[in-house]
Amino acid sequence: MSPAPRAQRIAGWLIRAVCRRLPADVRAERCREWTAELPAIFDDQSIRPAFLRTLRALSFCVGISWTTRQLSRSARAASRRTRNAQWRTGAMRTRPPNLAVRAVRGLLIWLVVVAVVLGLIALLHTRGLPPSLPVMLVLALAVGFDGFCLADIARAAQVRYLHKWAWVVICLVQAPLGGIMYLSIGHIGRDPSRRGN
Amino acid sequence: MKLTGPLERVLRVMLADPSAPHYGYDLMKAAKLKSGTLYPMLARLQQDGLVNAEWEAPRQDAAGRPPRKYYQLTAEGLRVARLELAQAASSAPARRAGHGAAWPAPGSTR
Repeated sequence: MSPAPRAQRIAGWLIRAVCRRLPADVRAERCREWTAELPAIFDDQSIRPAFLRTLRALSFCVGISWTTRQLSRSARAASRRTRNAQWRTGAMRTRPPNLAVRAVRGLLIWLVVVAVVLGLIALLHTRGLPPSLPVMLVLALAVGFDGFCLADIARAAQVRYLHKWAWVVICLVQAPLGGIMYLSIGHIGRDPSRRGN
Repeated sequence: MKLTGPLERVLRVMLADPSAPHYGYDLMKAAKLKSGTLYPMLARLQQDGLVNAEWEAPRQDAAGRPPRKYYQLTAEGLRVARLELAQAASSAPARRAGHGAAWPAPGSTR
């Protein structure tokens, strides 16, 4: 296998990976456009020696990563503007919450969960039950909740802000706060207009 | 449209031959820009209707090369680009005069 096609495949894979953060309606076309530029870079005889072409392709991929970040950010801003305009005109009944509101809501839910769990442990402790029981109960709840969040991530066609795997890691590492933050920030709820269908 | 340095370079390349379509890497090389600068700029120009993008038709002699997306200035883009570059050219001597103390004109001896 010659190094150029392998490098080209790796560059193509990188472009496809960073294209995942683009909105679904433009993702495929952008990905096709940028991967189609790779042969031109690898065939560019003005760049010598050959390994510099590979570096150029990698630099191209870094730029594409930056581009996808910018394009997805501007698409999100446009969609937010549209939703806010819909809310202002009354077409949408509930105001779309922004990231800060969702994060604060998630942290409040987390505090309530902590308070309830601590209260439960104290209650069971006063009843003279074995100390391992509350711990087991909390663990079972955390595992169940994490399982629910992981299943939700697996079922979701798209999640917000991070890649699906990043949310999986956050849910696993920071249980159950990670799961609460996923449901508050990363989870995309059902389209209200389709509710009841 | 705010005429930045990179945008000016892209417009100059596209205006050099307005009828010639350019693909991304071609523009990157000609305007000496990075992909992270060029593509967001092209997306904005396309959104504003100043640039038109079209896919290349699959060719028999392309040796398996995937079709490229080509960019070309629209009629409106052509008009705006010429106007902006003319304005930039007319304001350049004034800018140079304004910064004359710190930035001597190319070729001048001080």
